[in-house]
Amino acid sequence: MSATAYLAATGSALPGPPVDNATLGRALGVSEEWVDIFVGTRTRHFGWDLETGQVRHTLADLCAQAGGAAIDAAGLDPVDIEFVLLATATPDTLLPTTASEVADRLGLMYLPAFQIQSGCAGAVQALDLGRTLIAGGARAGLVIGGDVTHRHLDPHRDVARVPTEELVNYVLFGDGAGAAVLTAEPVAERVAVRGVLNRFTGLGRPPGQTVDWYGISDRHSERPMLVEDYKAIEESVPTMAREILWELLDQLEWTPDDLDFLLPPQLSGRMTERITEHLDVPGAKEVSCVAETGNTGNALVLLQLARLLPDLPTGGRALAIAVESSKWIKTGLGLEKV
Amino acid sequence: MSAIDTLDGFLALLREELGLDVTAREAGESLVNLPRWDSLHLLRLVTLMEEETGRRLSLSPVLQARTLTEIHTVVLEQVGGRSQERPQEQNQAQNRVEAQA
Repeated sequence: MSATAYLAATGSALPGPPVDNATLGRALGVSEEWVDIFVGTRTRHFGWDLETGQVRHTLADLCAQAGGAAIDAAGLDPVDIEFVLLATATPDTLLPTTASEVADRLGLMYLPAFQIQSGCAGAVQALDLGRTLIAGGARAGLVIGGDVTHRHLDPHRDVARVPTEELVNYVLFGDGAGAAVLTAEPVAERVAVRGVLNRFTGLGRPPGQTVDWYGISDRHSERPMLVEDYKAIEESVPTMAREILWELLDQLEWTPDDLDFLLPPQLSGRMTERITEHLDVPGAKEVSCVAETGNTGNALVLLQLARLLPDLPTGGRALAIAVESSKWIKTGLGLEKV
Repeated sequence: MSAIDTLDGFLALLREELGLDVTAREAGESLVNLPRWDSLHLLRLVTLMEEETGRRLSLSPVLQARTLTEIHTVVLEQVGGRSQERPQEQNQAQNRVEAQA
């Protein structure tokens, strides 16, 4: 790839007040202590009312808020934005796409608005595609990732009788969106995207995470909406994360000592602790968000970048790792502030 | 009198409601040897016990239990069930007997 793309700024949107484990525990009828100990996520946000189910923030609301904040922080105007890329597993409607809806909300016109259907790898996949558009001549574009849970979590379910592969999702996920402005020239935060790894590795392998949906013909289906093979994930993700780390370092011709910051995969507070330990890059400062935001799927890497950018000094290097266990997608980013 | 007053009643509830088919002998064995047992099954079990007893359970004593029999004992202790009316030693002995039954 000939041209370098730069992260100019980020934006984020987390709906409503943080929901702590006591509140989540009461709403679901599960032990707050158990969530503290085994999940290790302290808070998350929901764009819907846990008691009534009423939706207060749609995905488009969150993505437009994050996207608008990123454009403002980059010091750009909507007219400067030449493409929109939105990554999500939970669009508000199948059509129009949430990408188009967000373009409308932000006053963007006459530009391509792509939507990527993805999970935890979505933010990196969108940044990967974004940098190819920059390399193809675009001067600035908006990358957004976000997810919402109101269609997939039902707080009135009888938790004791929910299969464990479904139950785990209730204590992992939250709602949120993150955004970044990509530019062809270094402006604002001036963080060069030095390398991207984006690789489907699930050939012949059963999915680790399934997010289903129903239509008119199967709306009474008993199929579970969310299924996570958490044992496969616990076993595979730490190893996959380490493979991504070393593969990216090799691609960039960097060593672990070159890293000032490390953005590890954000599964849950506890899993991220384990994975970071396994990555074993003690010289790099960890940038994580999951303990406060919950697992927000496509938003995660962008929310981490929003935490990283203010702290990254000129010449500072960072490496982000994300694993999407749906069909085992390995992704990562190498970043350097110029 | 509640379904979980006895180990057999407790195990029957686990079988019917959680799909955990464990014999009284297996209930006395270490949890690490139980097929499929993990922290999420523990959450379901605790949630079921809270539902059954109408009481919030403190998790730390449950986490210290090494077998389902011990979990049964600490649940009864917390809800003021039969086990609490007995000295600790007798209580454990009783559960050992039940586990071998």
